[in-house]
Amino acid sequence: MNGNLYQPVNGEIIEIIEESPTIKSFVIEPEQNFQFATGQFVELTLPGEGEAPFTPSSSPAETKRIEITIMKAGRMTALLHQCTKGQKVGIRGPYGNGYPVDSFVGKDIYIVGGGVGLAPIRSLLLTLFSRIKDFKSVVCRFGARTPNDFIYKNSLFGPWQKIEGVDIKLTVDKANGDWKSNVGVVTTILTPQDVNISNSAAVVCGPPIMMKFATLKLLEFGFKGEDIYLSMEKNMSCGFGKCGHCMIGKYYVCKDGPVFTYEQLRHYHDIWD
Amino acid sequence: MDSVFIGRLKPFLDTIAGQMELYVPKKAGEHYIYSKYDPSSQKSVEFNSIRACSPVKEFLLPVCEVAAVFPRAVEPKEVKLFAVFGLKECDLRSIEILDKVFAEEEFRDQLYMKRREKMLIISTDCTEAGPSCICNLFGGKGFSQSGFDLNVAAIKDGFIVESGSKKGKDFLNGHAELFADVPRALLAERDTNRARIQKQLEQNNAQLCFETPIKQILENNFDSEIFDTEAKGCIECQACTRVCPTCHCFYIYDSKQKDYFAKMKMWDSCMRTAYAAVAGGANPRKVLGDRIKHRLMHKFVYFLERYGIEMCVGCGRCIDAEAGGIDLRDVLKKLNVEFESKNKETKAAK
Repeated sequence: MNGNLYQPVNGEIIEIIEESPTIKSFVIEPEQNFQFATGQFVELTLPGEGEAPFTPSSSPAETKRIEITIMKAGRMTALLHQCTKGQKVGIRGPYGNGYPVDSFVGKDIYIVGGGVGLAPIRSLLLTLFSRIKDFKSVVCRFGARTPNDFIYKNSLFGPWQKIEGVDIKLTVDKANGDWKSNVGVVTTILTPQDVNISNSAAVVCGPPIMMKFATLKLLEFGFKGEDIYLSMEKNMSCGFGKCGHCMIGKYYVCKDGPVFTYEQLRHYHDIWD
Repeated sequence: MDSVFIGRLKPFLDTIAGQMELYVPKKAGEHYIYSKYDPSSQKSVEFNSIRACSPVKEFLLPVCEVAAVFPRAVEPKEVKLFAVFGLKECDLRSIEILDKVFAEEEFRDQLYMKRREKMLIISTDCTEAGPSCICNLFGGKGFSQSGFDLNVAAIKDGFIVESGSKKGKDFLNGHAELFADVPRALLAERDTNRARIQKQLEQNNAQLCFETPIKQILENNFDSEIFDTEAKGCIECQACTRVCPTCHCFYIYDSKQKDYFAKMKMWDSCMRTAYAAVAGGANPRKVLGDRIKHRLMHKFVYFLERYGIEMCVGCGRCIDAEAGGIDLRDVLKKLNVEFESKNKETKAAK
């Protein structure tokens, strides 16, 4: 950086992983080591086309290669999906506040995720797994539209389930083939017995409608608003609380978030839209 | 030397223009706009009675500029010293607001700073209270209190020039030949003028001095239908945000050149439909009334909570520019009436 907030770090896409019919992971090698905290986001530039905000899905311990998982949802993401290995990109950031992992120590971590919302969660999980003994348990409840729509299948369906202290349950909206787990939205696999609510931190990330109902469910279970961490998706553009696009009430999601507690946002009407 | 006297503006402005680019107000229709000062012209400079139509942000945040060049970074172009004459107290307070955002220590915007540091601010006293001026509601005055390098007050037989910063003081000391001492009587004349304008502002805006702070009125009217009703008149021209000296939203877009790429930074407006929309179409403020409400909440509630000052200086430019008949003064009055009536109901219920 030359002191210019708008200057991207140059990078190159060195690998592309097809995660689901609409989601790909891009492994990016930045020209210089890129440090971030889990839950922080970056602005990824496709030179000449534009930039968009994404939360890396890789472990923050890895600074030479960062992974970004992207769902085809709009103009920029569609263009990114057309990219091939070797594509030059730019990265600005990291921006905002990530997950306060140190404050999770000694607690049950209750992670509710859906769809491409598993991207920031993967980065968080890799961080938690690297020091798993620090936490009482890591309880994951993830949903997707169909079994094929789950991302990180190779980790999710196998190795992660075997880690001691980790409890993973999955659900799909629509089952097919040999799906043996639950069918239904993610709130159908949440129960108050999953964690010790008075000593837990809940993390919710996914489509807005899922986040809304999962949060309401957690509140119903007795979770306090300050123990529910939401990773908000708004139109973050500059990344440092100036351009205004991502405002929720007085907060700039880019600078004050993207991770907020529900308590911080509960008074604002438009958080789920 | 803090205050000095000059008989005519021209020698003073010519001296400044000899050292740097100087922008001065020029009458355009019923308003003033800024243009570059030409010392060779015999015409004297117009002393703008109230703030110009153009907001001062134009000098600090250009409508569109190159924010970064990549993949090989290029040092941004040097900005030369420049001076702006004729800024009013409301303009100075809008710079104070922009500073809060762009000059904050964490994430200091170098594009803004390089202009800000090279700008010589020459403010002038208002010589009338404009028809849409409501600065007094926000602690403003018709004369500069702080934030200027030099301030010029017009009096009957000349002008009083005052320094407000080291830069200004150095200028006065460095050009002693231009200035004479100010007799006490002239300072008294200036103060009388200032008091007269202040009184005029207070009289003009008496109906807008509410018992309750605007922040509280707005917060208590979050669910009011007033915003949607006002939206019916709005033609979404975005003029209110363009002329507002404190609105500072911007849009970043990428540009492809022959042998480099550039990130461009351009003014944006929170009144635009897709302003807050994300990929996939979700949009927290699809409805126009919600965007109008957000803009007012940002100005009078959110910014105040974050930075300790309101994001409105009461310059009235949005009132002048308004094409859809929305008058900030009327909106505030309506909100206050609704607040008062709600308040009465609550008290009666108790």
